[in-house]
Formats: sequence, structure tokens, C-alpha cells
Amino acid sequence: MAELLVMGDAFAKGFWQVLAWPAFGYMLLGIAIGFWVGLLPGIGGLATLALMLPFSYTIKTPIEAFCFLLGMLAVTGTTGDLTSILFGIPGEGSSAALVLDGYPMSKKGEAGRALGAAITSSLVGALIGAFSLALSIPIMRPLVLLFGSPEMFIIAIMGVTFIGTLAGASLLKGLLAGGIGLMLAAIGVDPQTGSLRYTFGQLYLWDRLDIIPVVVGLFAIPEIVDLAVRGTSIAGSRPEKLSGVMEGVKDTFRHFWLVMRCSLIGVYFGVLPVLGANVAQWISYAHAVQGLKDKSRAGQGAVEGVLGPGAANNSTRGGDLIPTVAFGIPGSGSMALLLGALLIVGLNPGPEMLKTHLNVTFAMVWVLIFANIIVAGLCFLVLNHLAALTFIRGSLLIPFLVLLISVGSFTANNSFNDLVATLIFGVLGYFMVLYGWPRPPLILGLILGKIAENYLWISTAAYGAKWLLFPTVLILIALTVFTVAYPTIKERMGKAKYERPEDAI
Amino acid sequence: MSAMLENFRNHGNGRQATRKATGRGRGDRPRKGPWPSGLYGPVAPTLSRLSPRVFFVLVTLPLLLLTVDASAQEPFYKGKTMTIIVGTKAGDVYDLYARAIAQYLPKHIPGNPNIIAQNVTGAGSLIAANHVYNLGKPDGLTIGAIFPALYFDQLSARPEVKFDWTKFNWLGSPVVSNHFMYMRSDTPYKTIDDVRNAKEPPKCGSTGTASTGYYMPKLVEELIGAKFNIITGYQAGGDVDLAAERGEIVCRSFTITAYFAREPFFTWRKKGFVHEIFQTGKKRDPRLPNVPNVYELMNTYKTSEAGRRLATVILAAGNVGRPYVTPPGVPADRLKLLRDAFTKTMNDPEFKAEAVKRKLELHPVSGEELEALAKEVIDTPPEVVARMQKLLGK
Repeated sequence: MAELLVMGDAFAKGFWQVLAWPAFGYMLLGIAIGFWVGLLPGIGGLATLALMLPFSYTIKTPIEAFCFLLGMLAVTGTTGDLTSILFGIPGEGSSAALVLDGYPMSKKGEAGRALGAAITSSLVGALIGAFSLALSIPIMRPLVLLFGSPEMFIIAIMGVTFIGTLAGASLLKGLLAGGIGLMLAAIGVDPQTGSLRYTFGQLYLWDRLDIIPVVVGLFAIPEIVDLAVRGTSIAGSRPEKLSGVMEGVKDTFRHFWLVMRCSLIGVYFGVLPVLGANVAQWISYAHAVQGLKDKSRAGQGAVEGVLGPGAANNSTRGGDLIPTVAFGIPGSGSMALLLGALLIVGLNPGPEMLKTHLNVTFAMVWVLIFANIIVAGLCFLVLNHLAALTFIRGSLLIPFLVLLISVGSFTANNSFNDLVATLIFGVLGYFMVLYGWPRPPLILGLILGKIAENYLWISTAAYGAKWLLFPTVLILIALTVFTVAYPTIKERMGKAKYERPEDAI
Repeated sequence: MSAMLENFRNHGNGRQATRKATGRGRGDRPRKGPWPSGLYGPVAPTLSRLSPRVFFVLVTLPLLLLTVDASAQEPFYKGKTMTIIVGTKAGDVYDLYARAIAQYLPKHIPGNPNIIAQNVTGAGSLIAANHVYNLGKPDGLTIGAIFPALYFDQLSARPEVKFDWTKFNWLGSPVVSNHFMYMRSDTPYKTIDDVRNAKEPPKCGSTGTASTGYYMPKLVEELIGAKFNIITGYQAGGDVDLAAERGEIVCRSFTITAYFAREPFFTWRKKGFVHEIFQTGKKRDPRLPNVPNVYELMNTYKTSEAGRRLATVILAAGNVGRPYVTPPGVPADRLKLLRDAFTKTMNDPEFKAEAVKRKLELHPVSGEELEALAKEVIDTPPEVVARMQKLLGK
């Protein structure tokens, strides 16, 4: 009981600390920056966080520092979704899944509805993420320790099985694309023996392919080419008014349980070190389209395909913070930077955050909540102006888009080779679209290939073959088999005739 | 001092220098050919042939110039922009050091140039090192912040290496980075002797074969016959620590600095979750007074001469710390100026205070020391190199 009182007290204290001046001002500044960072394609939260780090040195207290940095990071997920929907170009690496159904909605003239759905689901996702962070405080440490390397390997394999769902019309092409992704993941210095794989004498390839140039190339360049060829605006010759925003908001509540489930997927992947939003978005997209009654709607502008990843890529932020707070061990690249900034202002995230600095932990929860509410409101205000961009003639828009994606890719390693990689994957992406090859399996394979390989190696090196019989591993294997077999079971049971989703791009 | 150096650049031509110093010179300072190589090099034998008057001017000029107002000169660095090429991503500890130095170094360079930090990432800073060595102009405006162990790749004769480690101009390093190993306390391995005698070697975690988490335990294996089961492939150091919490691995080797700078290690030490079993500095770190260092262990276990040579070559990287270099061929006066500025920065109370605030440990190493170390390691005999390559899995 006394413990509850302490927590309640810290909860309230955190609330007022975030609302106090200048902390709140710093948060608004962070939100303003994060808003643009999210919108601009390629330029990601991680790179910007690194750029903003020196500014945080001048900030005096830890709360003010993470109001600024976390506020910025928290909103990039939401505004990144907008770019994906409006232009078919991922605003953030973690917003790429919204391209699949969001952009077709824009092309159909339903941009308003898609944006409304993305913003509302992002808000819901962020709130779920924040509450999960708050609720998990008492059980944080065992929760993180539950997942060792063998468990991570099975989870990565589970992710790989979603390739089938993401494959769309042609399962074979999907599997092949996934295989290419897995193969691309092998590029680089292999951590086990230090040998160079597929590097062709290029130092750039030593560090494996960076995900940003690949995503930007695969998704942005084909859309830009398509826009140029069509010679119209993105929305074609549809009436210049944005309708249906409220419809999108209502969609979120129509499919409330889907949004909830996808938010929890996001939290879950956030907690697991290494995985995070880049994987969570695809898994929740796959989950969303798997649940469609009429599979042919997938990739043709189904609002469920917007809601799922929209919620998941925001809720990971809350999950990400869990290992950071519980152990002082960052759960992702952006958390590592945040941790660095907090050290400088004199806060040492770690077990203390759950005892003496509990109010600081709750202040983080509040920053996530406030920042997302504010940015959602802001988005609704500027929505009409943003959507108007889709009515601008393509020839005027294209130079800006090309400039932005180039800058965005370049921020990955500050290397000219980033641009070369973008172009190569752009050409690949163009032909994949042309010949009906699905792109998401390739991305998923690329992300998961490295994770699966490393954790398989670690598991075997640490436990021999014994890990295959760990109870947690067996449960996860059963879960994986179930997810794979579920559609077939459903079909056999005759409840619903299962069809493969058509052409999920 | 700076005024003196500036005038020395006038090729020792006393008359011209005097004119310039008094403000009546034509101002056409010869730019071709750095002065010191001229003075100590080909010019030196000709000194005796100089007329007594010129010789007098040459000798007394420095003294005179000390009294001349430096503002009458245009220091080379005035209005210039220098670049520090950082071999890691922004936000990495290397980058944090570089940015702090970029902020405070200009104060100590005559002319107070602007310094920007630019991240050239990849291949464990090998790209940055190649970049600085080959693309950086030898004008003293480009500085590289690179990894200290890149000479491993040069010794292994990797074709990707496009530099000669000994030809870099070494400015200094803000810190030495000695390593140590933690071991979970609930294991039977209380001391390194227990590890030597154990039937089953302890499992240590690391990110990859190029990391100290891999090659430090490997080195100890080679030197004193202890055995470790090193598991590679973790994404980052933090993931290894999480694996230690979970019990997947029980030991990890990394920098002493990080061990005393952040969580989870504060809590670990407080709770006695881990203990330390060896360290790599020449002297025991004051914070780890009871932990034997590798040199003591080599004496105890009578490591062979070849083993000691191997230890020298691998542990030198720790003494190099986080080095700052310029491309080869920078004029010696400018190099001296930069080295002095670097040393002054390291002793600057404001910089020190800022480093404390930013949790950046300072334990500076001079450019001269680094230069000597670089020569020493590249001098390694081939049979030791062969052992090193085997150890590194290259």
C-alpha cells in the first residue's frame, strides 16, 4: 500500500515537473523540430538526435533535457507516417509500412481519411506505449531478462514467417524477395570470424547495408519515377478538397481492438533489444492485413493497413525506454544517444530510476503523452495544407523530393556511397514494382537476417543444442507454428474461406 | 612564441622578416617550402657560410620578436576553418571527445580558427583514417580522430589499408584506454588462476572479433594459458551486459573508463554482482588496486619473450587511447603549434571542467609519445605479427 502511495506521488510529481517552465518550453521546441524531422523523408530521429546532442549540454536539469530530446523523438513517428501516406515516400525508416496502403488511399483521393486514421492510431499507440512503460515499472527487470538470445532467435524467425503474409499475390515471388533480403543481410564483416562477405573491396560494405538508403531507394524512387511518368499531381485530377479526416478518426475506433493489438506488438518489439520499430511496423502490418475479410483490399488502400503500423511505430517508443530505465542499457540506437545526453546532464538511468528517481521515470511517461497529444492536435491543424501538396503538379514537386531523399540517405553514413546505394535500390525497386515483386519481404529479410544469424550463433555457442528445449523457446516455437498455420486452420474449419491478400505491393 | 614561429616562416631571411615585423614589408610572405625542414635540413650545413651579419640577425631575431606585438602578424590560422574527421557516428564516445576538443582547441591556436567536426564513419574508422591520410591536405587544417588499433590491419597487410601508421603526424590523445575483465561473482572463477585451472572455461561475451571484448581474453589465453569461451555476435556492449545479467555469459572485457562511468556497473559493484580478474595497464589503475595487471601475470606465469612482444604489440593500442592525427607532410612548425595547442587544451581548466561535466575522462598522452609508440608497433617482427593475426582471427 505504501508503495502505491509512493508511486502515486511520483506520478503526480512527474506530471508537474514536465508542465513546469522551462521544461515545457523545451518540449515544445523538441516537438517543433521533431515535426519537421519526421516529415522530411530519410532524415530520421536518430540522426537528428545526434545533431541535437550538443545543444542539450547547455540544458541544466535532466527533466528539461529529455523534455527536449524525448519530445523530439516521440513525434517523429507520427509525422513520418504523414509523408508515407501523402507521397508514398517513407518519412522515417519506421514509417515505410504505411506506404503500402496509405499511399493508394491518397491516390484514390482518400488522403484525408488515411491521415486522420494515421494520426489517431499514432496517438492511441503512443498512449498505450506510455502506459505500458508506467505499468511495467514494477516488473521491468524480469520482463527484460525473459528474452535471452535463443528467444530472440525464435522471435526473429517468427518475423521471417510473416514474409508469407507480406508476399501478396505471388507467394513464390515474396519468398524469393525475402531470400534476397536475407542474403543482403549477410553483406559485411561477419562478427563471428571477422571474415569479409560480399564486400567486393568496398570499405562502405564492411558495416553491412544501412537500412535507410535501402528503404528510401526501394520505396521512394519508384514512386518518383511513377509520378514523373504520369505527369499529373499525386492525387491525379481529383477535386481539391480534403474530406474524410473525421472518417479516419472514426476508423480508428471502428477497428479499436486491431489498433490495441498492434500497439502491444509495438511495445513488445520495443522492449526487445535490437528489434524495435523497424520490425514492429511490418509485423503489425502483416497482422492487420491477415485479419481482412476481403483479402483483395490489401495494398489497394485498406485503412486497416494504415492503422496497424501507425499505432505500432509509436508505441515502440514506450517499450524502448523499458530496458533503458530498468538497467541503464539502451534498447535501441536512439536510446543509446538519449542515455548519453542524460549522463551529461547528471542523470544516470538505471535501477535508481525505479527508486530514488521514480518521478523522473514518470516524467518520461508524461513527456510521451503530452508530446503525442500536442503533435496530433498540430497535425490536424495543418492537415489541409499538407494534403494540398498532393495536388501540386508532379514536375514541381519532384525536384524537392529528389533533394530531400538524397539528403536523407546521405545522413545515414555521411558517405557518397549512401547515394549510390539509394540509386541501386531505387532501380531494383522500380523493376520490382514493374514486374509485381513485393518489396516488404526484402526489407524484412534484410533487417531480420542479421538478427537471426547473430542470435543463432550466440545461442549455439553459449548453450550447444540445449537451448532448443528451453520452455520459453518451446512456447515461442509453438506460437510461431500457430501463426503460420492459423489461416489454414481457419480455412479447414470452414469459418471463412482464406484467400491470399492480393498484390500487397 | 607564435609570433616567433610566424616570422620563422620567412625562410630565415632576417631583413625581410624585420621589415614585416615593423609593418613596412611588402607582405609577400613566401609560402612555398616549410621553414624548419629548410633550417634543419639542407640549409643547416650552409649556416656556417652565412655572413656574420645575417647570422647575428638569425640568432637575435627570435629574442627581438618576443617583444614585438603579435597582432602585427597575420597568424596562419586566423579566419581559417579546421576540420576534425571523426571515425564514428555522431554521439559515440569518440565523437563526444572530438566535439569537446573542437570547441576548446581554437582558443590555444594563434589566430583562433574555427573547428568543425565531421563524421566519416565505417569499417571501424578505417575509412576515416584512409580519408585523412590520402585526401587531407598537409596544411594543418585537417585532423583525424581515429581508432588506436588500426595498425593491426596494417601489420596484417590488409589491402584496404591506405596509410602508413608511422607517417601520420600525432597530435596527442586525451585519454589512455586500458581494459579489464569483469566476472560474475556467482561463478567459481574468483581469480585468473581459477580460470587457468578450470575444467570448463568461462563464457565471455563480445560484439565481434575486432573488439577488445574478443582479443583481450584471447591475448590472456596466449600469454598465461588461461582458457575463455568467447561468444561473439552481440549487437552492442550493452547487449553483452544484459546477457551477463541473464547469465548467458559471465564475463566481458572492455575499458576501465566505461566501467566507472555509468550504469549498470555502479549497481553491479555496489551489490557485488561482478568482480574484476585482470587489467591491461602498465600500472594498476588506482580504482582497481587489487586486480593484477597483464604484466604481473606474465611474470608470475613466466611468459616467453615472444609472448611479451605479442603483448606489447596488442596492448599498445590501449596506450594510444583515442588519438588525433594529421596527414603526413604538415610543416613541422605548424605541427608543433598544433601539438602545443593540444597539450594546452588538455591542461586548460575550463576544458577540464567541461570534460568532468560531460563525463569524459582525461589522461592525456602527448604527440611525441604516440609517435614513438607508432614506430615501435610497426617494427614488430614477422613471427610476432603471424601470432597476432592468428589471435585476431585475421
